Amino acid sequence: MTKKHEPGMAYDMKKLNKVFAFLSVAFLLTVIWVFLDDYMRPWKMVQLEAQKIKREKLTAKIEAEAKKIDQKKLEELNKKLDESEKIVAGRKDDISKLHGELATIQRDLTDETIINGQLNAQIGAVGFQYGVAHTNHDPKADTLFAKLQDLKSRYAKSKNNLKELEGKKKGLNKEVEKLQAEVTTVEREIKDLLNTKTLLEKAKKTTDIDPVFFIRNAPLGDFLDPTVKIQQIVAKNITDDRYFQHVPKVDRCITCHTFIGTPGYEDQPNPHKTHPNLDLMVDKDSPHPMKSFGCTTCHGGEGHRVTDFGSIAHTPETPEQRKDWVEKYNWHEPHKVPHVMFKKSMTEASCVKCHQGVEWIPGATVLNEGRRQMEKFGCYACHKIEGWEHKRKPGPSLKKIAAKVDKKFFKSWVWSPKSFNKHAKMPQFFDQVNNNTKKEFIDKNVAEVNAMAEYIWSISEDYKPFAKFTGGDKKRGKELVKSVGCMGCHGAEGFEAESKKIDAYAGPFLTGTGSKVNADWLVSWLIKPSHYSPDTIMPSFRLSNKEANDITAYLMSLKNKSFDKLSFEEMNKEARDEVLLSYFSAFDTVEVAQGRLAKMSDREKTLELGKRSVGKYGCYSCHDISGFEGRSPIGPELSKVGSKPLTQFGFSHEHDVEHSRDGWIKAHLLNPRRWDNGVDKPFKDLLRMPNFYMTEKEAEQITIALIGQVSDYVPLAGVKRLNHLETVAEKGMKVVNKYNCIGCHQVDGFRGDILKMYEDDINEGPPRLAGQGHRVQADWFHHFLANVYPIRPWLKVRMPSFELTNEERNLIVAGFQAKAEIEKTFEDLNSEVVWAPGERAAAQKLFKSLDCASCHAEGFTTSEPSAPNLYYAKKRLRPSWIKKWLSNPQAILEGTVMPNFWEDGESTDTEIFGGDPKKQMEALTKYLIEIGHDKYSPLDKN
Amino acid sequence: MKEIINWLAEPIRSFPIFTVLFYLMVKNYRVVGTKKFGIGALLVSIPVVAWFAADKNFLAIILWPDNIPINILVILISFFTWFTLYKCAENDKRIEAGEVPIEALPENREKVWCWPNLVYTELFAIIACTIFLIVWAIIFKAPLEEPANPTWAPNPAKAPWYFLGLQEMLVYFDPWMAGVVLPGIIVVGLIAIPYIDTNPKGNGYFTFAERKMAIWSFLYGWLVLWIYLIIVGTFLRGPNWTFYGPFEFWDFHKVEAMYNINLSEYIWIKILNVPMPGNLVVREIFGIILTVLYVAVLPVLIARGKFGQKLIEKMGQIRFYIFIFLVLGMTSLPIKMVLRWAIDLKYIIALPEWELNL
Repeated sequence: MTKKHEPGMAYDMKKLNKVFAFLSVAFLLTVIWVFLDDYMRPWKMVQLEAQKIKREKLTAKIEAEAKKIDQKKLEELNKKLDESEKIVAGRKDDISKLHGELATIQRDLTDETIINGQLNAQIGAVGFQYGVAHTNHDPKADTLFAKLQDLKSRYAKSKNNLKELEGKKKGLNKEVEKLQAEVTTVEREIKDLLNTKTLLEKAKKTTDIDPVFFIRNAPLGDFLDPTVKIQQIVAKNITDDRYFQHVPKVDRCITCHTFIGTPGYEDQPNPHKTHPNLDLMVDKDSPHPMKSFGCTTCHGGEGHRVTDFGSIAHTPETPEQRKDWVEKYNWHEPHKVPHVMFKKSMTEASCVKCHQGVEWIPGATVLNEGRRQMEKFGCYACHKIEGWEHKRKPGPSLKKIAAKVDKKFFKSWVWSPKSFNKHAKMPQFFDQVNNNTKKEFIDKNVAEVNAMAEYIWSISEDYKPFAKFTGGDKKRGKELVKSVGCMGCHGAEGFEAESKKIDAYAGPFLTGTGSKVNADWLVSWLIKPSHYSPDTIMPSFRLSNKEANDITAYLMSLKNKSFDKLSFEEMNKEARDEVLLSYFSAFDTVEVAQGRLAKMSDREKTLELGKRSVGKYGCYSCHDISGFEGRSPIGPELSKVGSKPLTQFGFSHEHDVEHSRDGWIKAHLLNPRRWDNGVDKPFKDLLRMPNFYMTEKEAEQITIALIGQVSDYVPLAGVKRLNHLETVAEKGMKVVNKYNCIGCHQVDGFRGDILKMYEDDINEGPPRLAGQGHRVQADWFHHFLANVYPIRPWLKVRMPSFELTNEERNLIVAGFQAKAEIEKTFEDLNSEVVWAPGERAAAQKLFKSLDCASCHAEGFTTSEPSAPNLYYAKKRLRPSWIKKWLSNPQAILEGTVMPNFWEDGESTDTEIFGGDPKKQMEALTKYLIEIGHDKYSPLDKN
Repeated sequence: MKEIINWLAEPIRSFPIFTVLFYLMVKNYRVVGTKKFGIGALLVSIPVVAWFAADKNFLAIILWPDNIPINILVILISFFTWFTLYKCAENDKRIEAGEVPIEALPENREKVWCWPNLVYTELFAIIACTIFLIVWAIIFKAPLEEPANPTWAPNPAKAPWYFLGLQEMLVYFDPWMAGVVLPGIIVVGLIAIPYIDTNPKGNGYFTFAERKMAIWSFLYGWLVLWIYLIIVGTFLRGPNWTFYGPFEFWDFHKVEAMYNINLSEYIWIKILNVPMPGNLVVREIFGIILTVLYVAVLPVLIARGKFGQKLIEKMGQIRFYIFIFLVLGMTSLPIKMVLRWAIDLKYIIALPEWELNL
């Protein structure tokens, strides 16, 4: 305050005013800024863009439509319109006179309507007054009654007048119409011609950016009825967990994904693109309409947020896309979002949360592939997963292992299964990144493997093969492996290309068999697998002794020489004792543990370590081992792994692993021991999840199946509930899957892995089962499953005989029936076939003219049959199916050799029944029933 | 260099460093409170801050939207502290020379109109403040986050910045102490200041020489025990409330070796090597004695001393005891902190049975 101001003033007033002016302007600008900032939302720009795209599309459509319109016809019509207008103009006077009359009548009509209405009201009121007076014995009742009657009669009269006037009006209108008829018809024709275009133009008008658009969307004014606004779906049956309560899911994704449910925008970039799978999703007629399922139910993410691109928790598919998004949308890692959106390729993971209790989900190809891999690698054996509890252990029983392989093989195999068989599904526990660097660890591992072998041998039951290998033809054996159908379950050396195509996994890949088992055991096994292992799923192919010996000769010739040369290191007893000591001292002092150890004999120590090691590595989870019955599987439960908080995944020091659930799971599957890198751990604490040496693709597929295992609660109304048929079908299909029927048979288009070997002629492969529950009869099916006979003797591939329990057979039969939506279990075939006059002869004639016996030869001619024996059709096939089959075999089984005799519902033989296809098929079916044997099969002795 | 700074920043070292720096600053306020020093410090701090900010981890912390106010706070507090010392130094020089303080010069004592001199300028301040807040709100948007999930707390879970000092205290004290007793004493103490401090000196003008005690004690509590803890809580406490140096990556898995021992365990088991007594009071008797000595005996001793006598003379018995009690309450924080770092002391009195831990 060096400058002196007026008295009583500390500042110069002019200067103060300037400051005030400056601040006021700055404040105004800030206010404008805050309004603009609030008004300009990213999604508004997207909607404007969408409006532009829609407009362009409509313009193009209008142009196309304009081209379609027949201009000549239009001109003609216009000309005709002119002419007819002239004609009508000639009747101008008449028309105007009629219009005058109409106006008078309309006047009277209105007047009468008023009168009528008034009377009606009075009747109501007086009626009520009378009613009250009457019940109260009021003397006024009589007067009121008279009044009411008067009103009623006047009302009736007025009503009559109304009718009369209406009639007159109608008549006059008709006359007018008649006078104008020429013009109206032509006008209608023109309108019809231009209809589509007019509608399109109307639609285009809604995309106009005109003053009304600006007013409706103006800042502050846009709370009334804006055109650019947030769009949302409220899914009533699916809730979001808001922690203190569940609230209906609100998805606002369609605010930007404008055309997601509108076909025709497939060519647009996101977010304007149409959903790629409208048949299954989004569309209102699809099983998952957008209105009831929303978007984030499947895709995940924060669907209610529209703040900006990142807030939704969009997840980039690849690092490139991540970079792209960062540049384009300023994308950032979602902040505090427990469930980010699934990567696009992983969306199918979501199916699991609603589709529970089924093994395969129709349409979810990616997920099913993942589940197939899980089944192949047997994840469910070590890790409990809800819905997988019924599965059998993926590894073979070790209860009689001593009779099958020798100890040296066992040890080398356990040490490194892949070095014996690169297709081995058995994972590798040893020689991994966390235990192959320190000599101490290797010594201890070697001791463990030796001890496990000793232990398992010590408890192995005795077994003696019932057959002897008598030598066989290697070459024929090899052929048999391919032809009888082994490859539906096994890959096999010598057929690498086929094995790769089929990718069978129910049984082991057949390689090096000669280095693994002995010939006698193998012959016995091939002839009767259940002799060695009563609960195996390996069926009997009803091989003859010679066939079994031939196959054995081939398989025994497959030797793994380098593996044979391996010798397994002897047990280091010090290492063994050290490991045992660490077990014993878990709850006791070292001294007590040492004392306990000292009391044990050498053999006891080895066996103790063997048993402990089997428990430690969880061998019993995949293999039946005596003494471990009822133990819980070794791995942690994965039923809800998809909801496990990211912070609970141990990324350890592996900083190059993507920091996401799927990133961790995939990395874990590829190398489960990597998390031990850089961590100093004692031997007993090393990670134990074995290495499956799976490919990146396999790991990715399993990851997808696993991250869908979430704990999200979906209300009952929102989840897929199986109906009574689907429930039965699913139970049956579980048995079908257990025995790997789908390794050979394609069931309603699903799987049938081995068919890939019969691409040249699919009819040479195992029959495809389409609507099988409708095709065959229940009792026959049940009988057949226990008494397999060759229905198609010309096929080289064999339907094997499984050791199915009666319960399982029932489940299969009922399951197939339910799958084909057949409600009646048995057909009524006891009554005699009743023929209409002449029908039987016609049927016989038809049978001959269609030459059925040329293929279905058996029993009719002596030539080689190439189609099933028709004499057994009676017990085997359902009559309604026979008719369906006859009417169009290709519709049921594409590529079948059965010809269609009634192409497009027209008979080739027009003489019989006047060519009525229905009657012809009926007659043929009856004929088959009449000639049919009352036996299930040729083997049936009844 | 960065490692050294990370190492120095750990509370066990940075707290004493801050205390020493504080001591040096106030002791040499005549040097600090010069324009030369102010400009010099500013010039030095610019490249230093730039060098700090060149580090990815440091930059991430200071640019975290929640932390912007703390940045502003650090700058403002630095400036105002220097400004105060500058003003004090100037006046003290004048007073020593026998002149009146600047504020007491006749031209500064002239009376002016309330309108427009005060009201008008207040309006300016209101408008400017509103502009500032609006612009801030536009640039650093308040995030719209997921509804709170009671089973999944954010990590680190941090209190609002102005409570971070309290949250830091939770590391050293029982929640009951750090959350209720100490904040209560702080609030009551602040309210009580005008009634305890009746010294009219310094009214209306800056001075240090005439108010040494008041400034020493208040600034220590404010800068070292409150602002320093906020800075530590904001910038240097990461996931799991673990300490991270300014250049350290916030690795979720970082583990701190910490095993704290109660005073009673120290004495009964480690020193006397006898079983802990069953009786709670006997068990904790040493802590209780120490506490009684601290809150009851120590004030009396101080009162008997020369310093105490002087104070009592000035302010009277009641004011003196209240003042000493408040000061002791304040110093209990650094005492507990040092004990924690030095001997892993958990509680001086550990009575979890009575929910009473000190």
